[in-house]
Amino acid sequence: MMYIDPHIHVTSRTTDDYEAMQKAGIVAVIEPAFWLGQPRTKVGSFQDYFSSLVGWERFRAKQFGIVHYCTIGLNSKEANNEALAEEVMELLPLYVGKEGVVAIGEIGYDDQTPAEDKFYRLQLELAKEVDLPVMIHTPHRDKRKGTVRSMDVSEEHGLDPKMVIVDHNNEETVKEVLDRGYWAAFTIYPHTKMGSERMVEIVRQYGPERIIVDSAADWGISDPLAVPKTAALMKEKGIPEAHIQMTCYGNALEAYGQSGQMEEKDWLEKEPIDQTKKHGGNTVLRGGQKPRVDNDSSNIIEN
Amino acid sequence: MALSSIRQFLIAILSQAAKAESMGWLDDQIARINGARGNMKLFLAFSQASRYFSKDTFQLTDQQVAAAQELRPGFQPSFWTALQTARTVLVLGVLSEENESWMPTLDQLFESADMHELEALYAALPLYPFPEKLKKRASEGLRTNITSVFDAIALNNPYPSEYLDEPAWNQLLLKAIFMQRPLYRITGAEERANANLAKTLVDYVHERWSAGRNVMPELWRFLSPFVDQETLGMFEKVLKEGDELDRKAVSLACFHGKGAECRELLDQFPDHLEAIEKGELNWVLVGKAFDSER
Repeated sequence: MMYIDPHIHVTSRTTDDYEAMQKAGIVAVIEPAFWLGQPRTKVGSFQDYFSSLVGWERFRAKQFGIVHYCTIGLNSKEANNEALAEEVMELLPLYVGKEGVVAIGEIGYDDQTPAEDKFYRLQLELAKEVDLPVMIHTPHRDKRKGTVRSMDVSEEHGLDPKMVIVDHNNEETVKEVLDRGYWAAFTIYPHTKMGSERMVEIVRQYGPERIIVDSAADWGISDPLAVPKTAALMKEKGIPEAHIQMTCYGNALEAYGQSGQMEEKDWLEKEPIDQTKKHGGNTVLRGGQKPRVDNDSSNIIEN
Repeated sequence: MALSSIRQFLIAILSQAAKAESMGWLDDQIARINGARGNMKLFLAFSQASRYFSKDTFQLTDQQVAAAQELRPGFQPSFWTALQTARTVLVLGVLSEENESWMPTLDQLFESADMHELEALYAALPLYPFPEKLKKRASEGLRTNITSVFDAIALNNPYPSEYLDEPAWNQLLLKAIFMQRPLYRITGAEERANANLAKTLVDYVHERWSAGRNVMPELWRFLSPFVDQETLGMFEKVLKEGDELDRKAVSLACFHGKGAECRELLDQFPDHLEAIEKGELNWVLVGKAFDSER
């Protein structure tokens, strides 16, 4: 089966992860612009980060047979540095129209401060203007209230719920998010967000419609195989194949495909993964390094 | 070189390859960019061109290839895609031959570009006014690790051989060899072969051989004008131990090299000499053969 991980910060991951993801059936990923752990203090750091999301990381992913998309936005945590946030807002129009940018995101609330509110609203307006979906990051703390408020404000700005993906849901938020017509994404992230067993029960209870599974794997203890692992667990626990296909592939494609920047043919018609291919280039492989086309485990590291 | 005639030429070849609807979008964007204050319209159109133009390369007639060559010697749009051509049309539209006031706009496009946008911007280096002001930009571009961006500068592009100083030029060649790019597609490569490059390549060959690795056969082309005892020793070794393509390449280097010793080496391979004289063995063919073997 093919999988999409529609929320993963692959910039923080190794080539081993890419190889494992490809082997596990992941064909495409979406990397939302987010916080890097270390707060940025200069607008140039944002610019180079956005450039790497549409440039280097996309190239890197391609060499492992994975199609890389991204979302562009100012995250809620860093919206609190208002002077810097203003400068970042001026930068966003340079990036949101680029190829493979499938949403404005991840945006929303963290501490739910007035500054976060201000930049969330400005970015909702930007999304409307360029007709892109929105990826909402819901807060870790005071989650229920933050989630409801994200949707209220989005509606205040006239966004259609079908253009909005609300991420990091849990048992307490899912019902209202679905009832109000939004896409409900779930992050399978150990300890802080959600384990895969809970995810299986949610799909059993609510069905597959508008439910999306992702890993949000990043620089923390997280799992880049969360989507295929959850899919395997669903199968083990008797969730119908069609429901697994929707929650771990089809729904993400439909939701983010609304951008016009993501289509199934992007991975179905791509060239075979052969790093020797001229077009794929060979520069993650440096110099005359011998490209690896197959993986056999041995202590010999190729010359 | 007149900026406007190049631009007209690009629009002409583009309109043959693209849908009328896409050309309509492009015209509309040009009008909006001209009517707008600031650069935001340009930046958006430059990015969004990917929604209207394909990444297929052009099929040009011989006349069109010749016309391009006449407009700008060395300019080879047959390696260009419709998308990059549309982007170049947009960029050239805001440049001027009168003054350099557009330079910050071009810088901003470079600094925020994605991979395909970078390919377009760098491949158009030979078309921009004030080309001597873009040397640093070209050298910066060559530091990329993205093959297609490197290729946009290094291959089928007359800019580097015309404008890069020797250290930057030698970096281009050396990096192309590291990345195993087709050297025969580097415009002006032979004319700019030099003794410093040859010395560096000799070191490179030693390093590769010590590590038990091969070198690409096109490399020998850049040693042939600077043959000395050390290179002759290398030639001999390849002629003895190399595979068929390596040996052909060294024969070719001997043919173009000076001195009796080169000739003596070549005399051991009369079939190679015959092929060279018949035009059946040359650097383009060696490069293509190496490319197809990979």
